Amino acid sequence: MISLKDKYAIVGVGYTPQGRVPDRTALSFHLEASANAITDAGLKREDIDGLACYRHFPSASDEVDLTPYLLAQHLGLSPTYMSQDANCSRSHLQHAVGVLDAGLCNYVLVTYGHNALSSDSMVRLLMEFGADDTVFGHFGATASYALAAQRAMHTFHTGPETWKHIAVGQRKWANLNPRAMMHDRTMTFEDYYNSRWLVEPFRLFDNCLINDGGRAYVVTSLERARDLKHPPVLIMGMGQHNPAYEIQQSTYMAGPTGAKIAGEMAFKMAGITLDEIDACEIYDCFTYTVEITLQDYGFFGPGEGEDWFKGGTTGPGGRMPVNTSGGQLSEAYFMGLTPLTEAVMQIMGRCGDRQLGSKTNTKEPEIILCSDNGGVLQCHSCFILRRS
Amino acid sequence: MSYNKPLPKINADTRPFWSGCKEHGLRFQRCKECGFVRWPPSIICPKCHSKNTEWIVASGRGKVYTYVVYHMAYHQGFKDELPYVVAIIELEEGPHFLSNIVGCGPDKVKIDMPVEIEWEDVTEEFSLPKFKPV
Repeated sequence: MISLKDKYAIVGVGYTPQGRVPDRTALSFHLEASANAITDAGLKREDIDGLACYRHFPSASDEVDLTPYLLAQHLGLSPTYMSQDANCSRSHLQHAVGVLDAGLCNYVLVTYGHNALSSDSMVRLLMEFGADDTVFGHFGATASYALAAQRAMHTFHTGPETWKHIAVGQRKWANLNPRAMMHDRTMTFEDYYNSRWLVEPFRLFDNCLINDGGRAYVVTSLERARDLKHPPVLIMGMGQHNPAYEIQQSTYMAGPTGAKIAGEMAFKMAGITLDEIDACEIYDCFTYTVEITLQDYGFFGPGEGEDWFKGGTTGPGGRMPVNTSGGQLSEAYFMGLTPLTEAVMQIMGRCGDRQLGSKTNTKEPEIILCSDNGGVLQCHSCFILRRS
Repeated sequence: MSYNKPLPKINADTRPFWSGCKEHGLRFQRCKECGFVRWPPSIICPKCHSKNTEWIVASGRGKVYTYVVYHMAYHQGFKDELPYVVAIIELEEGPHFLSNIVGCGPDKVKIDMPVEIEWEDVTEEFSLPKFKPV
């Protein structure tokens, strides 16, 4: 593990139009994001020899199954490594580094795309996700994470009074990000409390966005990265832990989640402590996910979240910026690519009005801590990225 | 009026459970090697990987491990039920089981509250195990 430290780098990020972008296939977002990431890195199609796709949710009823070989075909790739997770395991960057380190590939593309807002895919997902739990009226991720959050409220001091700081802090970042779906909409604590209940204890503003769009990045070795367009963003540490139990049987829903062991692995590999982290980009399907992840990483003890977050800790000007694009709550949802690509762009210094450093009265981003999370707290990956 | 909510999708693993429900018996698998009571059903014990298994009938008593209150209907069939409670019940025998809390308002439900089974015969084929305060 130690030998992987600082050997590989993320060298390019691909964006697409995002938000409500009707009449487009999920495939089209994958392809556009991928092509843009390759160009952004200063590479050519022919250079890409590894492809790791994030899962696809059930395809829209007018679209075929979104396989990695379909993507490879349309991108004109014949990669020597190709994969796609089926159900939210979050191993993409570890796969990429693994095949690079094994000498199987030179440049790996990691991609995600979905037409979640404008197609019928999410409706299909609801029925699939719940299986026999739908018999009891249990559907979707909101309610499953809400079950976890309710247990946490019983176990330690947390709840809306903590989560409002996360939602409002991230919205302030989104207000600085023209790409964010919520760029033009401010949020106060009052707005948070006034948002409607979906599944109590979660209000609408505890939930991530549903959107169309795609996101991708390219990863390669540091030696190859040095010849490319942007300053390479080094992978300093990474760790993964998958407690794996579905919510029914989970006894870790109030922590420690997979974030604890994944975080310890990543920090051990990086050889640093929390004190050296300048900002965090945390997978935020729900507000509670941000709290429990930061808690399990060790930023604060169980129940100390409210005190830690209050006073604008994580917003612009705060001492520990979190989710500086607005995150999945206020920018857009691209699975783990929302946090990870934002960390890359911040370290590259390409974030405009929301750029960490003097522009937002925050620390210069030398080292950023990122997380990815899948299932209902079943899979967790932690990454520490740094400026080269 | 015909039943308009989803029904279980029975497979080889879950058939004994739902057959038991039809007779108002809440059945779980117990490992005959190590005694672990498991849910959901599976061919092997997750603790010792033994296939040597028996089905036991649970007491139907337990306590609320966690719960949520639905204020939004994700399926047409639940529209008239709002607000309703989905809970994970920690049963006396060990398994955690997702179901509904019935027989009290959502505001009365608390974590650790003792509950017991209340059968709901929804169709000719299916009875659903739900839970009410003791």
